[in-house]
Amino acid sequence: MMTKDQYIESLRKLHLNLWMFGKKIENPVDDPVIRPSLNSFAATYELAEDPQYEDLMTATSHITGKKINRFTHMHQSTDDLIKKVKMQRLLGQQTAACFQRCVGMDAMNAVFSSTYETDEACGTHYHENFVKFLTRVQEEDLAVDGAMTDVKGDRGLSPSKQADPDLFLHVVERTPDGVYVTGAKAHQTGFVNSHEVLVMPTISMREGDEDYAISFAVPTDSEGITLIYGRQSCDTRKLEEYNDIDVGNKVYGGHEVLVIFDRVFVPNDRIFLNGEVKFAGMIVERFAGYHRQSYGGCKVGVGDVLIGATALAVEMAGAAKASHVKDKLIEMTHLNETLYCCGIACSSQGAKTKSGNYLIDLLLANVCKQNVTRFPYDIARLAQDLAGGAMVTLPSEADFRHPALHDYIDKYFKGVADVPTEDRMRILRLIENMTMGTAAVGYLPESMHGAGSPQAQRIMIARQSNMEMKKALAKKIARID
Amino acid sequence: MLACTVKFCGGCNPRYDRGEAYRRICQALSDVARFSLPEEGKTYDVLVILRGCTGCEYLYEDIPAEHRFVSVCAEDVDRIIHKIQTLSQTRGIDK
Repeated sequence: MMTKDQYIESLRKLHLNLWMFGKKIENPVDDPVIRPSLNSFAATYELAEDPQYEDLMTATSHITGKKINRFTHMHQSTDDLIKKVKMQRLLGQQTAACFQRCVGMDAMNAVFSSTYETDEACGTHYHENFVKFLTRVQEEDLAVDGAMTDVKGDRGLSPSKQADPDLFLHVVERTPDGVYVTGAKAHQTGFVNSHEVLVMPTISMREGDEDYAISFAVPTDSEGITLIYGRQSCDTRKLEEYNDIDVGNKVYGGHEVLVIFDRVFVPNDRIFLNGEVKFAGMIVERFAGYHRQSYGGCKVGVGDVLIGATALAVEMAGAAKASHVKDKLIEMTHLNETLYCCGIACSSQGAKTKSGNYLIDLLLANVCKQNVTRFPYDIARLAQDLAGGAMVTLPSEADFRHPALHDYIDKYFKGVADVPTEDRMRILRLIENMTMGTAAVGYLPESMHGAGSPQAQRIMIARQSNMEMKKALAKKIARID
Repeated sequence: MLACTVKFCGGCNPRYDRGEAYRRICQALSDVARFSLPEEGKTYDVLVILRGCTGCEYLYEDIPAEHRFVSVCAEDVDRIIHKIQTLSQTRGIDK
């Protein structure tokens, strides 16, 4: 396995074509806007080195029998699925941010089982290709971005019917050695911190969409890939002279990029689906299921930090004994643990696929994510309720450090006498960061739309609800023939 | 000296600082026990299992050890220190 330092050094060797704020970024590793997201990703390596966490952070490869980082593991049991959720909660607690590596783990588990079943039905060799890729990922402990979401253009039209054919990523040329692909993947979490990208189709396909039913893996710095870094609320606070208190979370963060593929070459042995439209939906459904399970871990860990910050904020304000305050903290905990229950439940009810790895219970995973589209917003609302208005009206750190203003701010933003004003400012800025600032991207809209928007889960819940059985139960009790 | 090893369970929702607990155990027993991380094929006098909570019953049977002491909360740490001290005395281990 790679150490944290080895991982960071390995990123320096990538030659990404990355752009941000209208400029090409030559050194993303040391860029002050990007670095917090790298630190979060690096935590997946750092904690794997720590004996305190090795039970959750590492696993035994079913291919080589060697100890590997769990983020590269194919789940071999329901216990593995449960440990995955616990690992994600742990990382959410340690970073208070999106640590980005889940998407690759979920993509790899989905493609592993889907390629097996595609080969079984179509006589192809995609599983062999994928296992070769996976073995290298495990051996070298690589970071993999899972890329599913196409930009989609007109949502009312299928991929092959779009006015611009590139609005869904597709094959533009086939050669004896491989294919060339063009298109774009949106909202790509952690791409800049990844060595490889595993591309999947974004929706179920039908006849006529063959060029769009494509799955493959290539290095993130492949020729033809351009990255445009996504803006986040308050992102430029990281560039200010005083950039400690006001950023809320100085060390950790997350990121998303738009990834443009302009005639990127994919060699044959890196292709995992190529025109078999019937199996595009299987990859989508399984990836979405795994990723909806993931949110029952990572967002819970981030929620733990937010609840803790809120409890500290009320203590610092001298309001901790008020009954409504206690009740609101209980409600936040109840909501957060409900999400965890869902993550654990869909894991414990998982089942073995034909390929041998384990898949979560899809109905329960979709229920999990449906709750995630709501509860973090409720938790954030309660955090803002209890934090009070100072969370958004605090003067800047630059004012706090200014000799003419420091004593005023120190005096008038004081809560209880024995807590330094600076500590109170730090906690309030952390709550701001998580509910409105850069980390809110990961905690709120990502909870809404990541792994699919709410309606996507409702469609899956409807499909899996087994309504006929429920109706039969009612008829039996009501004595209807 | 007693040959001791340690396993940490999970850590997803710990009720106490297991790293600090381990440091305290090592320090308190430095005269009578030598702690190291588990090595394959090695047999230990004592395996200390530092769980973060009460949610898991796993005893790490794959690690050979004559005695297993489990901690699930901060209060367990002193109890474990005392037990290992008593064990070293009853064995009359040469320091």
